Amino acid sequence: MATAQATSARPAATGARRGPLAALRDRPAAAKLLLLALVAAVVVPVVHGRWGGGIWPEALTADLSAPLGEVTDWIVSNRDSHPLFLYFFGHISNAVVLSVRGVYLVLLALGWAGVTVFAAAVAWRVAGIRLALTAGVSFLLCGLLGMWVPTMQTLALMVVAVLASVVLGLLLGLAAGLSDRVFRILRPVLDTMQVLPAFAYLLPVVLVFGIGVPGAVLATVVYAAPPMARLTALGLRGADSGVMEAVTSLGATGRQRLLSARLPLARKELLLGLNQTIMMALSMAVIASVIGAGGLGDRVYQALSSVDVGAALAAGIPIVLLAVVLDRTTEAAGRRIGAEPTGPALLRGWRGWSLAAAVTAAVAVVGRATDGQVWPDDLTIAIAGPVNTAKDWMVDHLYTGVPVVGGTADLASHFTSGVLNPLRSGLTGLPWWSVLLIVAALAWTIGTWRTAATAVLAMAAIGVLGVWEPSMDTLSQVLAAVAVTLVIGFGVAVGAARSERLERLLRPVLDVFQTMPQFVYLIPVVALFGVGRAPAAAAAVVYALPAVIRITTQGLRGVDPAAMECARSLGATPGQQLRQVQIPLARPSLLLAVNQAVVLVLAVVIIGGLVGSGALGYEVVLGLAQGDLATGLVAGAAIVCLGLMLDRVTQPTTRRQRQES
Amino acid sequence: MTGTETLKATEPTGNAGATESPVFSVRNLWKVFGPKADRIPGSEHAALPPAELREATGCTAAVRDVSFDVRKGEVFVVMGLSGSGKSTLVRCLTRLIEPTSGTLAIDGEDVLAMDRSRLRELRRHRAAMVFQHFGLLPHRTVLDNVAYGLEIQGLSKAERRAKAAELVAKVGLDGLEDRRPSQLSGGQQQRVGLARALAVDPSVLLFDEPFSALDPLIRREMQDEVVRLHREEGRTMVFITHDLSEALRLGTRIALMRDGGIVQLGTPEEIVGSPADDYVREFVRDVPREQVLTVATAMRPALAGESERGPAVRPEATVSEAIEAVARSGDPVARVMDGGRLVGVVDHACLLDVVAGTSEPGAAAAPTSSASGAPDAPGGSREVTA
Repeated sequence: MATAQATSARPAATGARRGPLAALRDRPAAAKLLLLALVAAVVVPVVHGRWGGGIWPEALTADLSAPLGEVTDWIVSNRDSHPLFLYFFGHISNAVVLSVRGVYLVLLALGWAGVTVFAAAVAWRVAGIRLALTAGVSFLLCGLLGMWVPTMQTLALMVVAVLASVVLGLLLGLAAGLSDRVFRILRPVLDTMQVLPAFAYLLPVVLVFGIGVPGAVLATVVYAAPPMARLTALGLRGADSGVMEAVTSLGATGRQRLLSARLPLARKELLLGLNQTIMMALSMAVIASVIGAGGLGDRVYQALSSVDVGAALAAGIPIVLLAVVLDRTTEAAGRRIGAEPTGPALLRGWRGWSLAAAVTAAVAVVGRATDGQVWPDDLTIAIAGPVNTAKDWMVDHLYTGVPVVGGTADLASHFTSGVLNPLRSGLTGLPWWSVLLIVAALAWTIGTWRTAATAVLAMAAIGVLGVWEPSMDTLSQVLAAVAVTLVIGFGVAVGAARSERLERLLRPVLDVFQTMPQFVYLIPVVALFGVGRAPAAAAAVVYALPAVIRITTQGLRGVDPAAMECARSLGATPGQQLRQVQIPLARPSLLLAVNQAVVLVLAVVIIGGLVGSGALGYEVVLGLAQGDLATGLVAGAAIVCLGLMLDRVTQPTTRRQRQES
Repeated sequence: MTGTETLKATEPTGNAGATESPVFSVRNLWKVFGPKADRIPGSEHAALPPAELREATGCTAAVRDVSFDVRKGEVFVVMGLSGSGKSTLVRCLTRLIEPTSGTLAIDGEDVLAMDRSRLRELRRHRAAMVFQHFGLLPHRTVLDNVAYGLEIQGLSKAERRAKAAELVAKVGLDGLEDRRPSQLSGGQQQRVGLARALAVDPSVLLFDEPFSALDPLIRREMQDEVVRLHREEGRTMVFITHDLSEALRLGTRIALMRDGGIVQLGTPEEIVGSPADDYVREFVRDVPREQVLTVATAMRPALAGESERGPAVRPEATVSEAIEAVARSGDPVARVMDGGRLVGVVDHACLLDVVAGTSEPGAAAAPTSSASGAPDAPGGSREVTA
């Protein structure tokens, strides 16, 4: 007993004797902040005295619009003559145009019946009868809405873009999966590309290829290939080492190991990569309507710019249907892998494929013979009119004067004047160096000095580019939308984690919401709130919510059941369990949810430039619309920097976690 | 023990005598992990204990200065606790892990000098391995998994499937040919692994803790399976295990490893009967000695008149069998008869000494038992417990 007391007393004694330095060592965050404060105390007076506070000083900006303007002028004037364009970009451009046109012609030749039957047959083959029905009905709905031709245009562009993305992604993924060095170089690049808003990719592509289908396809490929490359690499690297050793022990050659073991073992990741690539390609193919992609996205874009919600919805519904069909089919195909083949033998293996081809061919021939290639005009339902009537009714009855709640427009204007405006003036009112300090402090406490350095440099680059004010505007919208997203998301997630029923109710809703391309979210918010910054923020919240709810719910539910059982057995109330066990243990998931919220919200806030949210997104749109690529490019670079900064500031250290595990 | 082996192995012999040409001949093999690993063997650090070696050089010697022979037709068990280097050792045999230094020969051919294609030939035809975690391809059926080794060799589909079907039947998996590995129990999966290794008809089978992941009952069943296969085919096997009872049950000879080195190499009877040091003694302390030691170890010369009475037992019978024979007959002694010739007797005192562990058969008995153990290697001493 005496010895036990002695040993328990000793640590307390040493603790009392420890100096403040030792205490700091135990709390690295406090140490980092203290160090940062010391540096700031020295540097800030100097900097402030030299350049003053307020927004980013003129003296520290570099005006890039003149040189950028020269570059764009040079490119525009040399696009048809310089060998680089003639023999490289020109060939790429021609190949893209030819293949998109070829696919489009094939789709037209199949006729609406042929395409519908083909989609249904493929879905049946890879995913079963239910998805076959979903696919068939979806395509018929696209026709019914009078959107057959734009749907086929988008589909043709998608097919080419997805094929190119998959080939590119597979090649990069193979290289990174088999070579450590390539993996080390490629991984941070791919990770960063995944957090950048789609809008940032548009301008460089336009610069080289001009506005039109080739640029749209290439922007889509650049945006959609990274997930394929990333998952291929991860899948190949993650192959069960036991299996690989067994294969080697049987004397397999390098090629045999790759083809008969490593690749098949990565099939799930490959299909997941395909799924993500298709979804990102669809998302981008729609957004790329801004640079001339045509098809469904263009219809939405045109309709939104004239606030014609009915027409936007008529084009938006096919986009959602396409997204759901493509996502569910590839997902079900992924789930089927490794399971015992089911269904009639007729549908298995190559027989299933040839049956699908035969049926499609037969239907297409019949369609040709009966002159039914083009969707019959008298078979369409014009929903634009009724929708617009409904929207007008909403404008009259819901926008203002609803008792208690106020109207949606009131709500939006309150949000703008009560949250967005103060936040924006607050951010622009902050001394520029204090913004850098806050960024550094946030990024350093949560990550390493590297992430902090990246974040600060990105933020400083925004200042140097001379777009400090619009960036602060965008940042204020992002912050407000993220705050709303997190409050709602965490609230719903806590409920869903506790109630099985709520989770079951939420799951299909989240599934649909997560598959929809970013662009589509703008339609309902424009209908409800009109145009401006508040609607863009609302769209961002709706877009980011599903991911936040899902990640948080999974995190809370994934808490070690033994720890929960232990807490319950000690008599903890549900509130105590949540506060003391679930939230601390689910901390990594919560941090990930914050990170995702920031990345997703930024993407939509930028796109919000199309519906009057102003700031960086609008500058990109303006640059595109007026052919003033220099302005657009600077804004695009600022978007990249902002995305980089926001991601780094919210990205918890992965290195430390890896070491611990 | 190791000394005499070295002598035997170095003389180049033809295929005539089974015991004379070892399947594997391993000399002074080292495997060191860590920076500048190749400098460790032969340096002043070589003799350091693992912790100090790590401290001094940052390296870990998984296998240190190991020499042994695997004789044709025997079950050579390498046994040791986790971290003793046994799994690394077996991987060095086919260079799944590249040894740091030493020599290694299979059927007299230098393995370390082989180029890639030659090494592939070795892996394809001469040594096949069974793994602790099975290492089956999850996307293939049982039949295609078994046929995988043949596919690697380039056999036609019909050929390899026919051969695989034969082996699926041999390991008792008839009717499960079209299942996927995930649909099988652990024991069944390991049967697939065994069939895959057997399908290529290797001259030696390597087992890396094949039954450690299985339930005790299934493990027993699989051990019987290995015993049966060995009895039927007489194939040479190298068997890695951390389970002493498994080692005693299967092994013709056992190499006991600790910290990368072999502390004792001998028949189960030698390991149990005359442990080389305190570590081995501690290891085998709980083994029921009467089930491992033979009467040849426990017997004493017959006194006058004892050659006439009492039940007859073979020299390689276990002590527990002799106890049973003595108890049933009611005679004070049992006669140890080797082919009709009286070699000695065991009385109550001899037998009880073995059970109580008070006898120290040691040096005198060991050579005798080794001589009687080695020639009848296939199917020999394991029948003790069967």
